[in-house]
Amino acid sequence: MMQTAIAILKKDLRMEFRSKESILAMWIFSLLIFVIFNFTFEVSRLVMLEIAPGLLWVAFVFSGMFGLNQSFSLEKENGNLRAMALMPVDGGQIYVGKFLSVTIIMLMFEALIFPIFIIFYDLQLSLGMFKLVPVLLAGTIGFTSLGTILSAVAVHTRNQQILLSLLLWPLVSPIIIWSVTLTGMILSNQVTEAFYPLLLRVGAFDVIFFTLSYMLFDFVLED
Amino acid sequence: MDVPALEVSGVSKDFGRIIALRSVTFAVQSGEFVSVLGRNGAGKTTLLNVISGISRPSDGSVKLFGTDPNDRVNKAQLAVISHEMFLYGNLTALENLEYYSRIYNVPDAKNRIDTVLQDVELKHRRFDLVATYSRGMTQRLTIARALLHEPKLLLLDEPFTGLDQHAIGMLITLLKKQKEMGRTILLTTHDLHTAAILSDRYLVISKHKIVRDGWMKNSSPDEIRAAFFSAEAGENDS
Ligand SMILES: Nc1ncnc2c1ncn2[C@@H]1O[C@H](COP(=O)(O)OP(=O)(O)O)[C@@H](O)[C@H]1O
Ligand SMILES: [Mg+2]
Repeated sequence: MMQTAIAILKKDLRMEFRSKESILAMWIFSLLIFVIFNFTFEVSRLVMLEIAPGLLWVAFVFSGMFGLNQSFSLEKENGNLRAMALMPVDGGQIYVGKFLSVTIIMLMFEALIFPIFIIFYDLQLSLGMFKLVPVLLAGTIGFTSLGTILSAVAVHTRNQQILLSLLLWPLVSPIIIWSVTLTGMILSNQVTEAFYPLLLRVGAFDVIFFTLSYMLFDFVLED
Repeated sequence: MDVPALEVSGVSKDFGRIIALRSVTFAVQSGEFVSVLGRNGAGKTTLLNVISGISRPSDGSVKLFGTDPNDRVNKAQLAVISHEMFLYGNLTALENLEYYSRIYNVPDAKNRIDTVLQDVELKHRRFDLVATYSRGMTQRLTIARALLHEPKLLLLDEPFTGLDQHAIGMLITLLKKQKEMGRTILLTTHDLHTAAILSDRYLVISKHKIVRDGWMKNSSPDEIRAAFFSAEAGENDS
């Protein structure tokens, strides 16, 4: 039943590993963000710690936008989106395939850029940082679950990137803001009892976004 | 009589103020080979898009084998060949075909892929990225991809464009074989000669309407040519 989703996922990952186009570009882009913020603002370490979580998510989100655009440009290129509309499968399957590939590529990029982030902001590695894993997962899934369906909408239009930004930002910003808060708690070693309810809230939004997109994807594929 | 493979009833399609099709009606029985003739902008591509279910008609309806084109059963037995490749340049020919055979649930995929690659004479290049293919080779692979799942209904939108003489001959042979197997084929072209070689029946579209629907065997080449060119002449008035 998941055959289609898996076929799409494998195809996307194979192409990404072949070209490394997305991950490499995302990585360099994030590196630039870190460099610019690190050297243009002469702020104290305390202030830096304050803004670091936000910076990390700015890097994730901007790079994620790039990944989304890349993933759907590839489908648009040779009419492959049309080929998808012609497939004898549930649109939800296609959504799951694209969602998984975009998410996995983004998570891999996050794993590669995080060490750089630690070095740049001279953060202490600690066991408590493992709490970041569910936060990054939940925040990223929220971003990609929405981003995948909105990219499919935007790809039909001429101003693909602008439309994607306009649609995605307002909807995804609560998730990003909460993820920044959660990340801040972990990095400053101040995980309060508010942590898990907030994490749960991000998770709940993930489920809602994913389910809605899964159900609506059939309509998106039509012209 | 059996339910027709294709039934187009009163189909109109407009894009805002642009009219692409005007109450088009015809039916195609299983196993028929129909050529749709008409000059650029007549509405041929739009007609195929409406038939394949990619595009919704503004008015009227389309039925494939008696049901909606978007029914999964219909999609599973439909093949579309257009100017769009439906291929990934950054995958090899083999990887592209493997991908589609998974999605179309092609039984014994390995052998089937071998067969279609041989049919379009690309087996020796199967490990090469499609991005490195010439236009003609890509078009041949597009054809192989479309035939992979042994579709019952083939929609071909000017499939000879971009092919050299040898490849045209190859495609003609392939299409004849498809016809012998009882497949239903609808092909748009402005090449009267190939249309006459291949098809049982022809439709001439002019100004977004069907102006002629005839059998090849009952029409002399001159008659078909006259129908086509009078349609062209008429078009210039609009
Ligand atoms: N997506 C579209 N948006 C606007 N107009 C379109 C679109 N597709 C086709 N048309 C218009 O519809 C008419 C028929 O086009 P088409 O079906 O492509 O003709 P043909 O394939 O016979 O050359 C043309 O005038 C064309 O410009
Ligand atoms: Mg056309």
